[in-house]
Amino acid sequence: MLRVAIIGCGKVADQHVNAIRRITDCRIVALCDRELLMARQLGDRFQISSCFSEVDEMLKVAKPDAVHITTPPQSHFSLASQCLRAGSHVYLEKPFAITAEDAQALIDFADKCGLKMTVGHNYQFTLEMLEMRRLARKGFLGGKPVHLESYWSYDLGDTSYVGPVLGNPAHWVRQLPGQLFHNIISHGIAKLAEFLDDELTEVVAKAHQSQELGGLGAQEVLDELRVLIRDKSGTTAFFCFSTQIKGRNQLHIYGPAGTLSADIITGSLIRNQTRSFKSYLTYFVPPLNNALEHLRNLRLNVADFIRRRLYQDFGMKELIERFYNSIRLGGPPPIPYREIILTAQIMDEIFTQIYGDRASKPLTPMRPEPAVATGE
Amino acid sequence: MNLAYIASPGDRILVTGSNGFIGAKVVEILLEYGFSKLHCFVRPSSQLGRLEKALDQFDAGENVELIIGDLLSRDDCEKATEGVSIIYHLAAGFDKSFAGAFMNSALATRNLLDAFLKFGKPKRFVNISSFAVYSNLRLKRGALLDETCPLEEEPQERFDAYGFGKLKQEELVREYGRNNGLPHVIVRPGAVFGAGKRELSGRIGVDTFGIFIHLGRNNILPLTFVDNCAEAIVLAGLKPGVDGETFNVVDNELLTSRQFLEAYRKAAKGFRSISIPYPLAYGICLLWEKYSKWSKGQLPPAFNRRRCAAEWKGNRYSNRNLHEKLGWEPRVPMAQAMASYLSQFGTNGTV
Ligand SMILES: NC(=O)c1ccc[n+]([C@@H]2O[C@H](COP(=O)([O-])OP(=O)(O)OC[C@H]3O[C@@H](n4cnc5c(N)ncnc54)[C@H](OP(=O)(O)O)[C@@H]3O)[C@@H](O)[C@H]2O)c1
Repeated sequence: MLRVAIIGCGKVADQHVNAIRRITDCRIVALCDRELLMARQLGDRFQISSCFSEVDEMLKVAKPDAVHITTPPQSHFSLASQCLRAGSHVYLEKPFAITAEDAQALIDFADKCGLKMTVGHNYQFTLEMLEMRRLARKGFLGGKPVHLESYWSYDLGDTSYVGPVLGNPAHWVRQLPGQLFHNIISHGIAKLAEFLDDELTEVVAKAHQSQELGGLGAQEVLDELRVLIRDKSGTTAFFCFSTQIKGRNQLHIYGPAGTLSADIITGSLIRNQTRSFKSYLTYFVPPLNNALEHLRNLRLNVADFIRRRLYQDFGMKELIERFYNSIRLGGPPPIPYREIILTAQIMDEIFTQIYGDRASKPLTPMRPEPAVATGE
Repeated sequence: MNLAYIASPGDRILVTGSNGFIGAKVVEILLEYGFSKLHCFVRPSSQLGRLEKALDQFDAGENVELIIGDLLSRDDCEKATEGVSIIYHLAAGFDKSFAGAFMNSALATRNLLDAFLKFGKPKRFVNISSFAVYSNLRLKRGALLDETCPLEEEPQERFDAYGFGKLKQEELVREYGRNNGLPHVIVRPGAVFGAGKRELSGRIGVDTFGIFIHLGRNNILPLTFVDNCAEAIVLAGLKPGVDGETFNVVDNELLTSRQFLEAYRKAAKGFRSISIPYPLAYGICLLWEKYSKWSKGQLPPAFNRRRCAAEWKGNRYSNRNLHEKLGWEPRVPMAQAMASYLSQFGTNGTV
């Protein structure tokens, strides 16, 4: 039985509890939040009685095998170090760390401690993303991707989140080097990082503020981002983050022999084999194939719904389960460390280009040096 | 000092949620009653339209002090409660997540209560709660729902984050009353309506499925016009001898859901709805709840028996406590209140 603890009992912690409860052979043994009341409200609702406000005490008393950290990113480095030092594996919510340097240091430290880490890129594990990965590995693309496109939209309509962020320059989101982007884009960037080489030759980032955001009264917060990336072997990638394009969370991979398009919102994967057709057939066969692809997705979604697999947090449950299995069975963690670091490097570069100095000097003092674990 | 009140105009009064739908009216009525040493708490992100409109109506509005901050910050609570005698606490969490609602309702209240005890001169804490805290599961259809009605025991099952936050907020206030001797009053408004809030109360129905489903039918709605509700709140903070009391707020003349919807339909032209009787609604909610459990949340339990009962079973309501203990009378009769509410839909009926 894997003993699990959660640090940070805000909105996302509910999702974690729900996902963990779907997994067999594990148990949430402790909840911790600087505000004891927050830990208790979560514990009350899910019948978890062991609630703490001090991380050290929680680690000492509950001795969790794995800790989920769902706190603001500024605290990730020190909390993760603390948990690793106490001998717990760590699931860190996104963004993994404030900078790539911190991400690398944390992973090195986990390795030194003989412990595992993962990051909350749960959208990498939705049903259509799993299928996309399977096909890409099977050679559907016909080689290394030539080009990638990742779209991530974010609806400002829910002002209960952006309102306090925009109105308060001291809000933790505003203190991040990449501000609003920093807290959201890692999902979309991680999708690209999976298919890019470690060595990038080019990253060009441009950002501006949408009229809608301007109307909400924030001055220096940007919400429209476009990025072009090229890696050493020539694969190019385009990333688009937008608050104005609604409902588009997609990844397109263009290979020499085929294209795959995963749509996270509609839970579909469109496969497209590069083929040419004679004469007028070009106008008839590909549209028919496309229609059949969409019908196939409809059929799969209905089947998954009947099999009770189409629940909202499938991706998170899958990621957590794979992480726990890697702890139990000793396999590699579900998200390769190189992907976590490459995602952080791309984000560093984007923020330096769009926010200049502000991004290269994080505003919040962070991280004490991690010390090697003494416990286990 | 008006002997009928526990505070004099020289007393400092704090209103949280002062730029909100009800809060701005509370400020307006306090100014009208001659209380101008007001601290109006607003968040930095608030668009201050409502509050400014209220302040502009009175010369004394100039003396009002805006406290800009967030109740989640203890420092901001300290700033706000310094020297304050009465707090009208209207700020609340409307977040859809349980944690978010809890934070802005309960956690914020805890910060405020601590600061009030430490930095204020507490005469009374007026906690604005809601009908959402009640559970009428065991009441018969048409039975009287008053202040003695049981509170919801399973807000998680009811899938009501807002109600959960408000329940926990009330629990805290009562705990501070018991343990710290904090004088307090709890006010539970029903469905508050008025110009400035266009949405129909959930007790009338839902528009989740693209068309409005009328579920309230012949139920009496626990309506209270915003001005009437705000005056009840103000009196709950001022009248002597009511510490520890709870007050439901509903107006004298109540409409049925059908009457309200008919009036709305005339004003908001092009509005269409279908109507579902309670037993059918209950059956659907029961099936939904069972499926949600069986599918382990593939459909969230948004419709369930507890919610169905709370919103659409139909009860009778009483404002006897308000009349008898606060001497409250609705200042705006229902016909005038409805005219004011409907006026916001414009003469061409566009919503
Ligand atoms: N409306 C109804 O039908 C109804 C019925 C029963 C009970 N109530 C209760 O009546 C009270 C007022 O409701 P309302 O309809 O007037 O709501 P509202 O218009 O949404 O006002 C709520 C106010 O709370 C403020 N607030 C929320 N979190 C805060 C925080 N952390 N710090 C400081 N301020 C915060 C909001 O500030 P921002 O402006 O910055 O967002 C907003 O002004 C609430 O307690 C509610 O539960 C309302």
